[in-house]
Amino acid sequence: MGEVRSLMAPLWMYLALGAFLFATGVVGVVSRRNPIVIFMCIELMLNSVNLTFLSLARFAPWLPVAHELEPKAWMGGPAAVIFVMAVAAAEVAVGLGIIMAIFRLRDEVDVDEMNLLRG
Amino acid sequence: MDPFALIWWIVLLPLGGALVQALFGGAVVRGLGPQNGKKVMGFLAVLPVALSFLLGVAVLQAHLEAGAGTERTVVLAPWIDLAALKVDFAARVDSLSLLMVLVVTGVGALIHLYATGYMAEDRDYTRFFTYMNLFVVCMLVLVTADNLPLLFVGWEGVGLCSYLLIGFWYRDLANAKAANKAFIVNRIGDWGFMLGMFLILVCIAASVPEAQTDGRWLDFGFILPRAATYLADRPEVATAIALLLFVGACGKSAQFPLYFWLPDAMAGPTPVSALIHAATMVTAGVYLVSRMHIFYVLSPVASAVVAAAGAFTALFAALVAFGQTDIKKVLAYSTVSQLGFMFIACGAGVYWAGMFHVATHAFFKALLFLGSGAVIYAMAHNQDLRNYGNLRKYLPITCWTMFLGYLAIAGVPPLAGFYSKEAILGGALASRHAAASVAVWAGWIGLVTAALTAAYMTRLTVLTFFSGEERWRRLQPAHAHDGHHGHGTEMAVHPEDHSHSAHAPHGHEDPHGFFYTDEELAARAEPEEHHHELDASHEPKEAPPSMTFPLVVLALLSVVGGWGLQHWAGLQEFLQYPGVQLLPKGTIQEHPHGVPLMALSIGAAALGILYGWIVYRRGLPAKEGFDESAWHPFRRWAGRQFGYDDLVVHTGVQGGDLVAKSLWKGFDAGVIDGIANGLGVLACGLGRGLKAIQTGFVRSYALLMLAGAVALLAYMVAVLTRIGGGN
Amino acid sequence: MEGIWGAGVAQLAPTQVGGPMLLFAVLAAVAVASGVGVVAFNSPVRSALCLIANFLSLALLYFTLGAEMLGIIQVVVYTGAIMVLFLFVLMLLNLAAPGALRESRDLRRLGAGALAAALFVLVVVQAVLPLQEAASPQAADYYGTPMALGRALFTEYVWPFELASVLLLVGIVGSILLAKRRV
Repeated sequence: MGEVRSLMAPLWMYLALGAFLFATGVVGVVSRRNPIVIFMCIELMLNSVNLTFLSLARFAPWLPVAHELEPKAWMGGPAAVIFVMAVAAAEVAVGLGIIMAIFRLRDEVDVDEMNLLRG
Repeated sequence: MDPFALIWWIVLLPLGGALVQALFGGAVVRGLGPQNGKKVMGFLAVLPVALSFLLGVAVLQAHLEAGAGTERTVVLAPWIDLAALKVDFAARVDSLSLLMVLVVTGVGALIHLYATGYMAEDRDYTRFFTYMNLFVVCMLVLVTADNLPLLFVGWEGVGLCSYLLIGFWYRDLANAKAANKAFIVNRIGDWGFMLGMFLILVCIAASVPEAQTDGRWLDFGFILPRAATYLADRPEVATAIALLLFVGACGKSAQFPLYFWLPDAMAGPTPVSALIHAATMVTAGVYLVSRMHIFYVLSPVASAVVAAAGAFTALFAALVAFGQTDIKKVLAYSTVSQLGFMFIACGAGVYWAGMFHVATHAFFKALLFLGSGAVIYAMAHNQDLRNYGNLRKYLPITCWTMFLGYLAIAGVPPLAGFYSKEAILGGALASRHAAASVAVWAGWIGLVTAALTAAYMTRLTVLTFFSGEERWRRLQPAHAHDGHHGHGTEMAVHPEDHSHSAHAPHGHEDPHGFFYTDEELAARAEPEEHHHELDASHEPKEAPPSMTFPLVVLALLSVVGGWGLQHWAGLQEFLQYPGVQLLPKGTIQEHPHGVPLMALSIGAAALGILYGWIVYRRGLPAKEGFDESAWHPFRRWAGRQFGYDDLVVHTGVQGGDLVAKSLWKGFDAGVIDGIANGLGVLACGLGRGLKAIQTGFVRSYALLMLAGAVALLAYMVAVLTRIGGGN
Repeated sequence: MEGIWGAGVAQLAPTQVGGPMLLFAVLAAVAVASGVGVVAFNSPVRSALCLIANFLSLALLYFTLGAEMLGIIQVVVYTGAIMVLFLFVLMLLNLAAPGALRESRDLRRLGAGALAAALFVLVVVQAVLPLQEAASPQAADYYGTPMALGRALFTEYVWPFELASVLLLVGIVGSILLAKRRV
C-alpha cells in the first residue's frame, strides 16, 4: 500500500480532470442526436463525478463524528461512488429498454424526432 | 283642556284623513258607485283640513288672550334621547307658526274643496286626496316644529308629497320625469339644509358649557335666544350656517339656481299647483329663513346673498314669463318671481314683510291658479293662451275673480298685494342691514320687477278674458294649428300633455329615450278620460259650484286681506313684539329719494298695466302667434328660460351621464375588470410564452438545464467570493 | 483553510516530473482523448469503444488513489456490464453504419460548448485553484479496502444502501416490462 500511495498526483489535478470530463460529457449530451450516444455521455459525466468523489475522499480531512469509526476517512466519497454506479446501472438498463421500445415503434432513433411532449 | 294642546290635533287630523282615504277610499267608491262614492270621499277629504283650520282659529284666540308675545311648546312624545342630543316631537305655538298654520289650513281647505270638483272624473280620486291630506300633514309638521330635525321631517315630507302629486298621472312618462326633477333638485337643497343643521350642532354645541343645557341643541327654544351669544365672535360660522340653510330654502322655494323644477311641476293637476307650488310648500323656504332669522341678523354677508338671489330670481322669472304661452307656466314663473320678493324682504331684514307677502301671495296666487284651472276645465283641457280670448262672456265668475287676483298681484291698492309689496320695497330701500347695501339695490330691482309683474299679468288676463276675438274659433277641427300634442293625435289628449307645449319642440322631450321610445309610449299610454278636444265649435262652460265657491272666497281675501292683516289684525305687531325677538324690526322707508313710496309702487303697477293693455287689448299680436320663428328673438329666448334649463340638463344630467358612463366603461370595465381579466390574459400570455420552451426536443431541454446549472454555480461563486469564502 | 487541508508540504511538487506524475499524465491523457472521442465520433460504436477506454483509464486512476475496491468494481460493473449492454443494444439496433444519423451543425452545439466551457472555468476557479496546495492525503491508507467500504456501507450509509437495492429491483422489473412485446 505504501507504494500505491506514492503514485498519487496532487488533488487539483484529479479535480481538473474530473471537471474536464464532465464538461465534455455535457457537450455530448446536448449535441448528439443518437440517444444511445447521449446515454454514453451521461455515463462519462457520472464517471467524472465518481473520480471527483474519490479524490476528495482521499484528500479531505477527516472530521470526527460521534462514534469513532474505522477507517478514519470520509467514507461518503466511496459510498457515493457505489451508489452512483448502482444508479447508473439501473438507469442504463431501463433507458436502453425504452430506446428499444421506441425503435420497435418507429424504426428509427433520433432524439429530435421524439418530441411528442411539445407544448 | 289646554287649548294649546289642540295644536297636535291640528297637525294630525289630516293624517287621519289620509289614512281614511287610503284604507277605505277604494272600497267606498266601489261600493257606493263612482258618483256617490266620490262625493263621500271628497267630503271626508275636505273635512279634516277644514276642522284643522277651525281649531287653528281657536288656538289663535287662546294665543292672543295669553299675549301675542308668548311662545310655548307642546310636546307629543320624545324622539331622540341620547346623552349628546335630545329631540322631541314638539310643536311650537307662537305667532309665526300660527300664521303659517292658518294660511296652510285655510287656503288648503278651499283648494281641497275645489279639487273635489276638478278631479271628479279622475279614476284615482281617492289616491289624490290621500296625497293631498298627507301633504297638509307634512306642511303642518314643518311649520309647527319646535326643533330643526322635526322641521326637516316635514320638509322632506312635503318634498315627497310634491313628487307624488306632480307625478300623479304617472302613466305619462313626462309627468314622472317632472316629478323626478322636482324631487332631485329639492334634494340638492336638502343637502344644504342638513349641512347647516349639522354645523349648528357642531359649532354651537361645541362651545356651550356642559351644564348649561341638557342636549337640546337643535331646539328653537335653545338656538334662537342663545345663538347670538355663542356666535358673536365668529361671524363666519353664522355666515356659513345662514348660507347653507339658504341653499335649502333655494331648493324648496325655487330660487335661482335651483328654480327650474317649478315650471316642470306644472305637469301635476291644477289644485296641486295651487296648493303646493303657489301657496304653501314653496313658502317653506321663506318660513325657514324667517324662523332662523338670528343667523341672518348676525351675518350681513348672508343677508346680502339672500337679497341678491331674491332680486335676481324675481327679475329673471318675470322676464321669462313674457315668453310663455301656457297659462300655468306664466303663473309658475310668477310664483318664482314673487318668492324672490319674499327673499328680498328677508335679506333686507324686514322678515315680517316677507311673511306678510307669504300670506297675501297665498291668497291671490291660489286664486289665480284655481281660476286658471277653471279656464282649462272650460276649454277642454287646452292650456295655450293663444287659443283663448273673450272668455269673460262665457265664464263670468272665473273672469271677475281672476281679475281681482290679477289686480292684487299687480299691486293695485287697496288690494292685498299692494300692501305686502309696499312693505317689502319700503323695507328693502331703507335697509342698512345687508352688506354693501345690497338690499337697497334689491329694492330697486324689486320695483322694476313689480312693473314687469303687472305687465305680464295684464298680458295673461287680457289675452284670456278681455281681448275681443275668440281665438279658438280659428282652430280647424283636425287641429292643423295645434301641433303640440304629446303623442299622436288619434288618442285622447290628456290635460297633462300640454305641460310641455311651451317647453320643448314636440315629440322630443326625451332625446335619450330613457326607457321607451316615442312609439312604445304611444302604444302604452291608455286613454284615461275622453275629453273632447278643443275645436272651433267649442262652447266654454262655467265650472261647477264646488270650484267657483273657493274662487269667490279667495277673491274676497285678496281684496281685503292685505288691508285687513296690516291694519285690523295688526300683523306687524303680531309678528314683532317688544321683549322677545321673534322677528326683528326693520324700518320702512317712506320717502326714498324724496319721492313717496306709495307713489313709486303705484306708478310701477300703473306702468305695467298700461303697457299690457296697449299691446294686448286687440288680441294676440301677430308677432306672438303659433309660429314661434316669427317671435321677437328675446321673447323666444325668454321662452326657453334664457337657456338655463337646457344648460343645467346638459351639464348636470348629461354631464352626470357622461361621468357615470366613463366611470363605468373607463374605470369599472376598463381598469377593474381589466385588472381581473388582465390577470387571466397575463396568465395565458405567460403560458404561451413559456410554451415556446416546450419544444419537445430533449437536447434543448438538456441545454437549458445546463445553462441553469451554470448560472446557479456562477451565482454561488459570486456570493461566495463576496462573503470571502473563496477558498 | 490551509490548516485543514494540511500543510502544503507535498512529497512531490506538482512541477516535478516524476514517476507518479508521469503515470497520472498518461492516464489523464488517455481519459481525455477517449472522452473527447466519445463525443466527437459519428459512429456510435466508436463512441462506445472510446468510452470503454475511458473507463479503464479511470479505473487505473482509482488505483493510484488507493481505492482498489472501487477500481475493480469500475472495471467489472462499468466496462464489463454496462458497456457490454451498450454494445449489445447498438448491434441490435443495427445503427453501426455511420451516416445513419447525420449530426447537423446548429446553434445548440455552440451554445453547449460555450456553456460547458463556462462550467469548466467556474469549477476550476472555485474549487480547483484554491485547493492547489492540498497535496497530502489525509485519509487513512486502507480506506479503499473492502473491509472499510463494507463497514461504511452497513453502518453510516445503510439507508442509501437499502434504497439503492430497491432502485436496482425497480430497474430490473422495469426493463423486463419494457422488453416484453405487446402482442
